[in-house]
Amino acid sequence: MKRTILFFFLFCLGAFLSLSAAPAMAASDTIKIGAIYPLTGVAASAGKELRAGAELAAEIANKVVEGLDITIAKNAGIKSLNGAKIELIFKDHEGNPTLGADLAKKLITDDKVVGMIGCWHSSVTKTVSAVCERYGIPMINDSSSSPTLTKRGFKWFWRTFPHDKWFVKDFFTFLTGMTEGKVKGVKAIPKSDIINIASACEKTEFGASNDDLIKNFAEEYGFKLKKSLLYGAKAPDVSSEVRSLKAAKPDVMIFVSYTSDAILFIKTLKAQKANPKIIWGQDAGFETPEFRETLGGDIEGVLTRAVFLPKIAMVKKAAGQVNKLYNEKMGHNMSGASARSFVGVQTWVHVLEQAGSTKPADIQKTANSIHIPGEELVLPWAGIKFATTGEEPGQNELGSGLIAQYQKGPDGTVEMEIVYPFDVATKDMIYPFKGF
Amino acid sequence: MDILVGSIAAGILIGMVLALMALGLTIIFGMMDIVNFAHGEFLMIGMYTGLLTAQTTGMDPLFTLPVAAAVGFLLGVICYYGFIMFLLRGPMVAQLLGTFGLMLFLRNLALLFFGPQEMVVHKGILVGKSFDMGMGIIMPATKLAAAGLSVVAFAAVWLLMHRTKIGKALTATSLNAQGARYMGIPTERMNALAWAIGGATVTIAGALLVNFWYVNPYVGILFTMIAFAIVALGGFGSVPGAFFAGLVVGIIMEIPGIWDFFTYTFDSDWMAEVPMTSFKYMWVYAAYFVIMVVRPRGLFGWKR
Repeated sequence: MKRTILFFFLFCLGAFLSLSAAPAMAASDTIKIGAIYPLTGVAASAGKELRAGAELAAEIANKVVEGLDITIAKNAGIKSLNGAKIELIFKDHEGNPTLGADLAKKLITDDKVVGMIGCWHSSVTKTVSAVCERYGIPMINDSSSSPTLTKRGFKWFWRTFPHDKWFVKDFFTFLTGMTEGKVKGVKAIPKSDIINIASACEKTEFGASNDDLIKNFAEEYGFKLKKSLLYGAKAPDVSSEVRSLKAAKPDVMIFVSYTSDAILFIKTLKAQKANPKIIWGQDAGFETPEFRETLGGDIEGVLTRAVFLPKIAMVKKAAGQVNKLYNEKMGHNMSGASARSFVGVQTWVHVLEQAGSTKPADIQKTANSIHIPGEELVLPWAGIKFATTGEEPGQNELGSGLIAQYQKGPDGTVEMEIVYPFDVATKDMIYPFKGF
Repeated sequence: MDILVGSIAAGILIGMVLALMALGLTIIFGMMDIVNFAHGEFLMIGMYTGLLTAQTTGMDPLFTLPVAAAVGFLLGVICYYGFIMFLLRGPMVAQLLGTFGLMLFLRNLALLFFGPQEMVVHKGILVGKSFDMGMGIIMPATKLAAAGLSVVAFAAVWLLMHRTKIGKALTATSLNAQGARYMGIPTERMNALAWAIGGATVTIAGALLVNFWYVNPYVGILFTMIAFAIVALGGFGSVPGAFFAGLVVGIIMEIPGIWDFFTYTFDSDWMAEVPMTSFKYMWVYAAYFVIMVVRPRGLFGWKR
């Protein structure tokens, strides 16, 4: 009897050991990357896109995909790591920086992730990257745009996405380009025609930092900022703001707004018959599908900073191919959010492939020296190369923004057309803004 | 000059709607000394009523006013008989916390039914149209109509309060509830009526506002604060006081525009640097604060 019990006990022990050993063996075949995104809460729709983009990149990296001309589609898994597969572990930070930091700790200590990606909200990226820095775990930030993130001198933080300083600079380069006749379909115009600028920025981190950037670049590029105001993004009425902007008699109006306030501004501009020659929105609200659907024909001629639009396929083959796969998976085109996370995971794959190791030190060394050429990417960038010196270590130096203009297509629907960078413009720009 | 005239005109227009919104608060307070913290939520319900009625029936939001008024009237009656009547028997603090609780309840109910996203009216006869009246006065048609209808609603309430028996009974109840009861006035019913009128006026204001302001479940709090400022300025319980205080608050909200006028007139750099628009509601609350300290019964108030 005793012997039976002993055998039974040994059997149980053996079974337990073999079972617990199984995942350990499997684990060596996958490379875990923690992906922290806002999957619920007010930013849930962006979170859904981010997750889908990241998942698609991992799927492509884990198998050979025919007819897709990017490096990560050529191998099944990471070739230099014996075909190890990428495993993304998604966590939901709900837009909460404290929760984000807790999740990061959990991913590092419990799940033993090799690296991190995320987090959309600049505020959450800030806390998550601080945890990664403490534990010496590499983090690639794919989607946050606050300039301060790469100004902290972190050693384990890299950002593929260009930040707001780039975008504001792009716009002033664009304006200067207009005076030099570089814009497709518009003859060189005298600078005095577009010299007066007025701006309205929402007054949290996003808008306030842009407000400073606009002031600096306007001065640097020789434009006159006649009026710059900050407003509450949740204000239900902006008529006094619009009156104030109008009173400055600007040629160019700049808005840094979230969705509902962006819509409100255009409506109020229309009601008050404002007639600037150029209206530019610094992404966010101006790029959302809601903005376009709500305002329809009223926004023809409005410019916005944009991250991704299907038209990029006209100039980048990879964008069209990946967007097709994404469309099959999700039933709609890629958005700015999904394109960002796709590129983020893609960068991880390149780094791991080149490093041939999952040791943090090797990853760090590779990330600091990697160069991914522009034709690999779905975004209209010159490529990915992280700065190692200067003011912003870890920042991708080859990123750039797009400026798009809403134009009516042949079937009457309003679509975005690229007007900047000048060499990838998809249509003639409408200038001046025709008014409401 | 344009911006000065334009700002003041816009302030007066919006002030009329704000006055109508505050009217309900002042009537309720005048009647039974109870502060309705859920007032902004009533307004939010009025906005949703206007919006959803317009969307489902396809009619112009301006014609949804009777529906909004009916909803507000019922809401007032239900709140009174279902809730406030019991609160009135409790101590003062219970009344304060009670209506505060009502506010949270209504807000979360709206969150449950309508979700957190903003909703807005996109279609309508007047939406997107405006009149250029010269002198820099550009009047959006929706605001003009809202202001006009506010004045009509105000006049109706004033007539009701001063020219009808019911109005007299209401006034009697608010002056001395016990005395009124001795005279055979059903004071409970009068209180309920005050809540009903209060509810109806504020939901009408909501249905007017939704023509040009978006609505979400949180929109109430901003308006509650403004309504308090108007009631304090005009005097608790005063109908004409609420009207004039509404106009004053409307103009106060346009201080940034008036500031801009002086900035351009003097071509002053330091004035241009002051971020006036960031603080446009601050002046309203500052006025509220000053009036509370200097003249607590308000400009036209008769309750001490």
